[in-house]
Amino acid sequence: MDVLLQALLNGILIGGILICLTVGFQLTFGVLHVIDFAVGGWVMLGGYAAYWASRLLGVDPFISVFFVFVLFAGVGCALGPLIYHVRTSRYARPDLMALAFTFGIFIMMRGGALWLWSFDSRSVDSVLSGASLSIGPVTVPLLRLSAFGMALLLGLGLFVLLYRTRFGMAVRAVAQNRDHAGLMGVDVKRVSAYVYGIYTGITASAGVLLATIYSVNPEVGVRYTLFAFFVAVLAGLGSVGGVLVAGLVLGLVESLVGTYVGTRYSLLVVFATLYLVLLISPKGILQRGI
Amino acid sequence: MVSKLSRPQLASLLALFAGMVVLAVLPAYIDPYSLRIVTGVLMWAGLACAWNIVGGYAGYISFGHSAFFGIGAYVTGILMQRDLGIPFLATLPLGILVAVGVAAAIGGPTMRLRGAYFAIATWAFAEMLMQMAIVLDITGGTAGLSLPAYLNEFFFYYTMLIVALGVYLGTWYLLERTRFGYRLKALRDHEPAAEAMGIHTTRVKVQAFALSAGITSLFGSIYAYWVTFIDPRSVMGPEITDQMVVMVLLGGLGTVWGPALGATVLWLINRYIWSELGDTAIYLPILGLIIALIVLFLPNGLISLLPGGRRGHGLLGRLLRKL
Repeated sequence: MDVLLQALLNGILIGGILICLTVGFQLTFGVLHVIDFAVGGWVMLGGYAAYWASRLLGVDPFISVFFVFVLFAGVGCALGPLIYHVRTSRYARPDLMALAFTFGIFIMMRGGALWLWSFDSRSVDSVLSGASLSIGPVTVPLLRLSAFGMALLLGLGLFVLLYRTRFGMAVRAVAQNRDHAGLMGVDVKRVSAYVYGIYTGITASAGVLLATIYSVNPEVGVRYTLFAFFVAVLAGLGSVGGVLVAGLVLGLVESLVGTYVGTRYSLLVVFATLYLVLLISPKGILQRGI
Repeated sequence: MVSKLSRPQLASLLALFAGMVVLAVLPAYIDPYSLRIVTGVLMWAGLACAWNIVGGYAGYISFGHSAFFGIGAYVTGILMQRDLGIPFLATLPLGILVAVGVAAAIGGPTMRLRGAYFAIATWAFAEMLMQMAIVLDITGGTAGLSLPAYLNEFFFYYTMLIVALGVYLGTWYLLERTRFGYRLKALRDHEPAAEAMGIHTTRVKVQAFALSAGITSLFGSIYAYWVTFIDPRSVMGPEITDQMVVMVLLGGLGTVWGPALGATVLWLINRYIWSELGDTAIYLPILGLIIALIVLFLPNGLISLLPGGRRGHGLLGRLLRKL
């Protein structure tokens, strides 16, 4: 029973970060209509940024996460127009070309990390590492709890931005209909670039949090791209609300399989579930996708 | 027939024959190391061609072709173990059979998915298969599998040459000359319209996918016997799919000879980096950069740079159309 409670708690805490990892991805799909293969790459680079910040400058990851957000949002804003250009080009299949483009960027990130920093796993230490809180039979690692809180904060910020500001209204208008939003005076290209920037910022921040909990190496990108796909497909592509449910489901699946079946099977189970969901209900379990 | 050919066409026909003669006698004149490189070029050209059937002609981007390469490699690898001892050539059709069966089984449901979902589904499938190869016992897990060594570079060169040539001529005929090819291109260009014309789109897509999977598996089998040692990463890793995608994009998506061109260029770059720098890690970022640059600046691939080379209407394409 205690083991089950602990596994459930761990699943929920990780699920919160996975939600944070996927909301930006969903937003990008809704606005730019691009499946970004590089999502795991941003997570990985965010983790490395936190590692180097703590290693070279001695900055705690819970402080550097804000700087990472700003840094990667800047990078994303610069890259966004290129993706927008490919997606709206006159190529025969702009959607597939955009997919191939982000695929190329992802390979570049993974290869670059391998080349510069080799295969070694690097862990990022925080003042909170190792400390934990005991509530009855379960122990709550403070690190995971604060990372969960930080992820909630980031996600909440995004929702406020989307539903309480003029910029958010423009974003939602573009997501609903690009042409009509353009006719209403929304600068679609600029909004798309900003959305891509917000997405890379949030995703890299999630990467910082994940790097403090696990560790970071060049291969984690593939795993997190898969997780983002899993959550997005389960939620229905483009549905931001469905992510809340799907992220928790993935967190719980991974934690329960890891506890009861063995961690080496967890990826296999995740892949198989993703594949089955795609076959049975391609619009997501909530039937909200597009 | 020959009288219809104009002078430049005759010249390129001669060039084609000359090229074949050169390929046929090449092993006698170059050192073993170069021979291995040329064998690699032939293999990758064939693999790129296989990917192009689905990616270029059907318009469905597959990120999971490494699965079929791995299936071929593992079928050959497992059947050739000492206790079974099945001869190499007998394992080839079995590998193809397994790959085609798997492709037909998963193709039916996944090919109904739209572009992006299909890409994700194939990718998830390939990763799942690689994880399976890691945890199963029969595949040797991460420790890998050793095959009986047959150290005859000439044998592998000529096998690759014959298979690659067969694959190219076969796909060229099938995709540019038969109703199957027209159906495939029709559904790529506009699927609902193709369906309205009475084309059973799902069946055609699954046939194309199975054909592509079978060819990929065949090369996987030969590769396993050639390198004599396989493990999950080396025959099912994402790098294999990555390279196939890049080669086709580089050469020219949906063209007959583009994949061969892309494969030749990329594999030579790969080997050059390997031998000059002794470090393949830098190869991956270069691969990624090539994809990004091609998508941005040269969406029709290198073949569009050749005179009249857009969409396979180049010199060779025009020539073969005349035959």
